[in-house]
This record gives sequence, C-alpha cells and structure tokens, in this order.
Amino acid sequence: MTRIRSHVTAPAAAVLAVAAVFAATAGRGGEDITSARLERAIGPTFANLYVQRSAILGRTVTAAAIDAHAACDRGGPKVPDSGPGANWICMIAFTDDTGQHQEGKFEVTANADATYVAGGPSKLVGPATITDTHGNDVPNPAFEFDGAFDPDS
Amino acid sequence: MTHAATTSTTSTTTGAGGVALTRRPATLTVLRWELTKVAAQARARYLLLGCLIVPPLIVAVFTGQQPPSDTIYGRHIHASGFADALLILAFAHQWLFPLLAALVAGDIFAGEDGHGTWKTILTRSAGRGQLYAAKALTAVLFNLVALLALAASTIVSGVLIVGRQPLPGLSGQLIPAGTALPLVAAAWATAIAPMLGFTALALLLSVLTRNPTAGVTAPVVLGFAMQLLSTLGGLDLARRLLLTTGFEAWHGLFTAQRFTGPIVQAAAVAAGWTAVCLLIGYLALRRRDITGG
Repeated sequence: MTRIRSHVTAPAAAVLAVAAVFAATAGRGGEDITSARLERAIGPTFANLYVQRSAILGRTVTAAAIDAHAACDRGGPKVPDSGPGANWICMIAFTDDTGQHQEGKFEVTANADATYVAGGPSKLVGPATITDTHGNDVPNPAFEFDGAFDPDS
Repeated sequence: MTHAATTSTTSTTTGAGGVALTRRPATLTVLRWELTKVAAQARARYLLLGCLIVPPLIVAVFTGQQPPSDTIYGRHIHASGFADALLILAFAHQWLFPLLAALVAGDIFAGEDGHGTWKTILTRSAGRGQLYAAKALTAVLFNLVALLALAASTIVSGVLIVGRQPLPGLSGQLIPAGTALPLVAAAWATAIAPMLGFTALALLLSVLTRNPTAGVTAPVVLGFAMQLLSTLGGLDLARRLLLTTGFEAWHGLFTAQRFTGPIVQAAAVAAGWTAVCLLIGYLALRRRDITGG
C-alpha cells in the first residue's frame, strides 16, 4: 500500500509543485512585449534596411539621413499597447532617399519571444522584388523583415 | 518457504562477507559499462548518423524552395548559408531538441525495467548511487555529442551548399562572414543548457515511469506543451521559467546592440530544472524496492 501510494503521490506532488510555481509567476515581472521596446527596435532596423534597398537601386544614403522613428499601437485605442499579437501597427516616419519626408503604416506581428515581423506599404518601400543596377531581380530587404529586441531593456 | 528464504539470506551474507566481493567497482568502470551499452544500441547509432546526414539534405532541399518566411531567418536562406544554420536551429528547438534529449536519456533507466535487468546490474556490486551517476553522465555525454554533431553538420552544410555571404542581422544590419561564423556557433551552443535540462527531465521520467516508451515520449510532449504555453501572451515571468524559452535566447546575439540577458537567465533556469530533476530521480531510485526480475 505504501509503495503504491508513494508511487502515485511523488509524481503528483511534483506536478502540483511545478503548476504552483507557474501559477505564482504567471503575469508577474512585467510585460516583455511593449510599444516602447518595439519602437526602439523597428525604427533603426527599418533605416538600415532602407539603406540596403537604396544601395541595391544604386542610390547612396546613410541610416542617419533616413532618421526613421516608429510609433507603435496594438489593436486600436481600446487594447493595451503590450503583449504578443499580429494586430500591432507601427507608423514609421522617415526621410526617403530623395530627401522627401515620408510616413507609412507598417503591419507588425510581435511574437512572445521578443521577435517581430514587419511589413511595409509598397508605395513607400517598393515591391517584394526589386531590380538591382545589374538588372537582376533581388528580394527587397525593406519590404518585409524580421527583427528582435531585448525583453529586459 | 520461510526456511528457503532464510537460507538464501544466510548464503548471501556469507558471500558478501568475502573480501573480493565487497570491493566496489569505481564509478568510472560503471560509466564505461553504460557507455558501451549505449554505443551498442541501434537507436543511438542511427540518431548520431541522422544528426550528421539530415542537415545537408535539408539545406540542399531548401536551395530549390520558396523561403519559409514564417520562421525566423527563413526569408534569408538563399542570401547566406549562416541563415540556413539559424533557420534549422529555430526549427529544431520547436520539437527536435526535446526528442534528441529524450531518445537515450528517457530509456536509460526504464530500459532496465523493460528488459528486467535491474537485479542483474545491481548484483554486479555497483551501488545505486554509482549506477545513477554513471547512467546520468552517459545520457549527458551522448546528448552533447549528438548536439555537437547536429550543430557542426548544419553549419558546415550551410556554408558549403549556400556559402559564406554576410548574414542579415536582426536589426537590419549585415554581419560579415568572419563575425557571423562564431556567432552562429555560439547560437547553437546556447542550446546546451536547455538541452541538459531536458536530459535531466527525461532521466527523471525514465526513473519514475519505468517504461521506455513513456520515458522517451513524455519529455517530448512536455516540450510541446511548454512551447505552446510560451507562445501565449501574459505569462511574462512564468514564460522565462519554461525550459523551452532558453532555446530562443540566441536572438540577442544577432541584434546591433547584442544582449545576453536571456542566455544567462536560460542557463540559470536550466540549472534549476536539472538539479531538481536529478535529485528527485536519485531519491526515487534509491528508495525503490527492487525485488522482481
């Protein structure tokens, strides 16, 4: 009897202990995915990729000249601007490679692992595939991109 | 019946009283037995072989495909061979690593139940503590070798089949090949800590379930469950205590401002899981009443 009981209670106690620790820590310690962290990551990332895109098209600009800034919002005014989801929108304001001020709406999926996928409007960043100076079709680096940010920053 | 039992006890006592029989083998000797047993297993050999030959096949298949852009680094697989190595790392952590960790570790104790050989190995005069240490160490060594084989094969395949082009980083920067290679190797190395955590979990389940099938599949199922939980929002601190979270810690190596906080946290979390699982497993094995065959 003792053997049977210890054979069942020990694993059950272990499972309960794990569940208790999990329940006690869930939702504590602050949200990993926030609009501030996304904004700090997406702006410079987009600027770097826009520079690469311009280089493919044969135009020389620097990330500093692009000076991209993002303002991110999740799911409209009624949803808190934090947490993972595919309903993030980031407005990115920047100076394009002809010196014009631009602002575009980027659709962003933020993942729980502090990575994100952002897709920009073709009107601003061009199509998924662009033609380089040698006439080859290459992927447009600024069209859709992955990035990551520090959840402890 | 009583008489027979008494006689048998007496004769055992007499036997154990002999000088030659009380000398215990060194734990190193027990370890050598266990390593030999694992090396003789067909599944262990096929697993290592698979770790070496599957990555080049996957990378070769990738070269003719549309990039799988739903997984991180998927969209860059034609741009740089390093991206292929990172895509396979990202893909492996979803289910392959727990399976890799459990295939030998989940069977190493329960296999003795399956074959009814506990009595045999315990009468070779090795203590339970020695046996436990040797088996745990065997599983750890095997899993490290398997991970090393998989990592090396993946990185070499990516470099040879696709090439050493600069790697797109996670901040839109380009990482030159000379920097990318050590970073990709380091990214694979970050899988060691959670992998050891899963090894310890598989060892524990192997001791508790006494069933090789359960010992191998339960860690994989738990890995799946943790993976699923970790995609949910609102867990925050609890998410960082999951073993699977450590498999994503490498992302910070590829941003312009590198961050290693998640790697350190993952190592601490994995150390906690490993210590707890190994301790419970040891206590369970030590207290276990082994009377049957």
